[in-house]
Amino acid sequence: MSAPLLDVQNVTVRYKETVGIRDASLRAGEGEILGFIGADGAGKSSLMHAIAGVIRFEGMIRFRDRTFRSPRQAEALKPAIGLMPQGIGLVLYRNLTVAEHLDFFAEIRNLKQDAAFRAYRQKLLEMAGLARFTDRAAGHLSGGMMQKLSLICTLLHRPKLLLLDEPTTGVDPLSRLELWEILQQIRREEGTTALISTAYMQEAARMDRLLLFDGGRIIAQGRAEELTRSVRDYCYEPTDCPESRCIRTLDTTYSLEPLPAPKKEPGLEALFFVEAIRRGKIPPAIEVSPRESAEPIPPVVMEARGLTKRFGDFIADDHIDMRLAGGEILGLLGANGAGKTTFIKMLLGLYPIDEGELTLLGRPIRSAADRRELKARIGYVSQHFALYKDMTVLENLRYFASIHRIPQARARERIRRYAEELGFAPYLHALPGDLPLGINQRFSLAAALLHEPVVLFLDEPTSGVDAIARAQFWQLLQKLKERWGIAILITTHYMSEAEYCDRVVLLKQGKKIADDTVENLHRRFPEAKSFEEIFLRFYKEDG
Amino acid sequence: MKLGVVRAYMLKEIKEMLRSKMIVLVYLLPTMIVILFGYGIRLEVTHARTVILDHDQSRLSRDLIGHFRHSKYFDTRVMNITEQQALHRIKQAKTEILIIIPEGFEKRLIQGVGTEIGVFVDGAFPIRGETMANYVEGVIFDAARRLMPPKEAKLITLDNRNLFNQAMRDENAIVPGLIGLILLVAPAILSALLIVKEKEEGTIFNFYSSPIKKSEFLLAKLFPAFVLHSVNIFLLFLWATWLFEVPFRGSFTLYWFASEIYVLISLGVGLLVSIITSTQIVATVLTIIITIIPGFLYSGMLMPISAMSAESVIEAHIYPVMYFNHIVYDTFLVGQGLASPKNQLYLAILLAYAVGLILLGSFLMKKELR
Repeated sequence: MSAPLLDVQNVTVRYKETVGIRDASLRAGEGEILGFIGADGAGKSSLMHAIAGVIRFEGMIRFRDRTFRSPRQAEALKPAIGLMPQGIGLVLYRNLTVAEHLDFFAEIRNLKQDAAFRAYRQKLLEMAGLARFTDRAAGHLSGGMMQKLSLICTLLHRPKLLLLDEPTTGVDPLSRLELWEILQQIRREEGTTALISTAYMQEAARMDRLLLFDGGRIIAQGRAEELTRSVRDYCYEPTDCPESRCIRTLDTTYSLEPLPAPKKEPGLEALFFVEAIRRGKIPPAIEVSPRESAEPIPPVVMEARGLTKRFGDFIADDHIDMRLAGGEILGLLGANGAGKTTFIKMLLGLYPIDEGELTLLGRPIRSAADRRELKARIGYVSQHFALYKDMTVLENLRYFASIHRIPQARARERIRRYAEELGFAPYLHALPGDLPLGINQRFSLAAALLHEPVVLFLDEPTSGVDAIARAQFWQLLQKLKERWGIAILITTHYMSEAEYCDRVVLLKQGKKIADDTVENLHRRFPEAKSFEEIFLRFYKEDG
Repeated sequence: MKLGVVRAYMLKEIKEMLRSKMIVLVYLLPTMIVILFGYGIRLEVTHARTVILDHDQSRLSRDLIGHFRHSKYFDTRVMNITEQQALHRIKQAKTEILIIIPEGFEKRLIQGVGTEIGVFVDGAFPIRGETMANYVEGVIFDAARRLMPPKEAKLITLDNRNLFNQAMRDENAIVPGLIGLILLVAPAILSALLIVKEKEEGTIFNFYSSPIKKSEFLLAKLFPAFVLHSVNIFLLFLWATWLFEVPFRGSFTLYWFASEIYVLISLGVGLLVSIITSTQIVATVLTIIITIIPGFLYSGMLMPISAMSAESVIEAHIYPVMYFNHIVYDTFLVGQGLASPKNQLYLAILLAYAVGLILLGSFLMKKELR
């Protein structure tokens, strides 16, 4: 490698009470793509902010031939840097159209708007598939489109250094693929160096080099194969853990000690588990006690026939049939804007049903009155975890318990038990905003379980949550299914999670395009290596 | 500074304001405040429900009653009930003022002996009660002076205050003060929101991570707010002179110029608020707290600064409200204009405030996350 384009030395970012990243060093050459992986709060964003010159830091950053030690000194480099911060559509203005965004970003960066610029702008629009939507307000774009718009706005000034902070979190597989294609093309044509953080390990595997973050430090770097090779000895087919230095998930057992079980080829996720074991940060085993109420779970929990929802001319859900049996985990998959959330909201009565029939727990739903008593038997976790940020975890749970009119003594007992079993007991007195997403996710689930529902609706509960927390979450869902016989409808953008579902339903532009078990789908597409490929196949083939 | 960059940013602000309907707030809020408060606050009392018990039944007592009858401030009924019954009416809120003329009222006055008229006023609302009591005293004093020789009139001792300053309408006292209040509150809220909105939603990264200069960003945020609220200066003037018929005796140029400076001060306050807050709701509430309270208290609108206690006088001088209100009251009611050295001084102080606050805000604002 020639002299590195970017040289980061011993960067530390401190917040009022915590340290974001400590002593981080890295180098990147021209056209290189570096991946940042690690749990949320591991320091990826802090380092990106420091390199983008938007936060104060200690240490030194050199880019090309300029060195800076503060945001002020970084000013001179900003024309060459592009930062896309974390959060879907974060840098977009809801009321401005796609075209207005491009004009705005061009003008605030004082770009010369000549013929070459206009051609480049048009090319970006086409690469992002937004050329047809230039008049649409950003607030009306789907999550995937918002991210693509944010990316091309960040690319508009042809930055030499691109910093993308989880650009694909919460984005569907197809949009992720498209984002990735834009990036590859830009790198090829512009020689852009990029630092990209991601929660998707398939994506991470495609980066030139990876940096593994944990607890505010960079703990390993290297190519994806090198990193996975380093943990290969510790991965086994699922088997019980004989001792404490070991973690078992649904599909793998990780152990530092040799186990009498067949070895398993690890994915990048393995890095997190092995690192957690090494540091002795073994997550508590998830346990679920049997439910207290003796209410039987009906054989068919939900049955929808021709469910339709229109918003003006736009059909969000177009005559969808779906059936959810008791004790079944049903995965609802689809691109952003395919109608998944709308469907769940119709089931919950948050949106009125425009057409079709819905039967919940054996009762046909025709009016709000039909739902009233069913509410006590349904649990729901929304996309953004509807928690009160100014109340502690415990206060939130007590509040949800009182909404469901659970007697105080029983509520206290259940909260205590869930906190133990789901492993958030140490955080009961913390505010949700100060906790990792994985903890918030588990206690949101606890809030939805307090009244012991017979069916759970989960809308993207795992987006942005780190690998270990997600593995635990799925173990928890499996346990709930086994012990309670509860039915679960879940949406997710992690295609690897689809494999844990008993059955999956694929939605595309409001229509159902597949409804089958994962095994059957694999049988139908024998050449597909992962479920993600099957998903993309479905999405691409019917136009 | 690149004007093209500023223009593009301002254009975006204006588009957003129009599409998010924020613009309605910019013009509705000031007009609503001036109309609600202008009509709502009444310090003057008219048609107070008055009961008179005339135990004297003399010429003099009937003359006195006549004075109450002919005043628009009282709706007078002479009743033949006991004092107890009359007091009960006050408790029931059927009567606000009870006047008892004692037996031998006329006789005692003629004999040159002092006499007492019983006056009971409903004090549930202290300021209103006080005002009514003063009115009653005024009427009695006025009547006494006309009905009898000065020597005898002195036998009824009264506070010699002229309460019937007919020209001093409430509107004249309140509406100009409201202008000072509104022009402090509304631009501050707008400028704070324009900046904090970007912090809350995350779009502030566009500023942090691009080469836009701080000065360009601030100009793009403050200038639209300044222009939009400059329109309110004229709008408020229109409501005051046309809707509330407040006379305008001074120089319009002075009013206009002082108001523009005052809007700048308000923008400076908003800018400071935006630096220490990160959500729109907190920014709004904080701005309201730090502008409305001093805006009301130290404006000299409700209480003359000269009548305040020492600490309050100092505080009143710390807030810019008092200086502006002095100029506004002068242009509306007095008309001395720049001929008055006090006005000149106050205008200079306002200018210093505006420059100081905006410079301080620009200095404290950092182009980085914290």
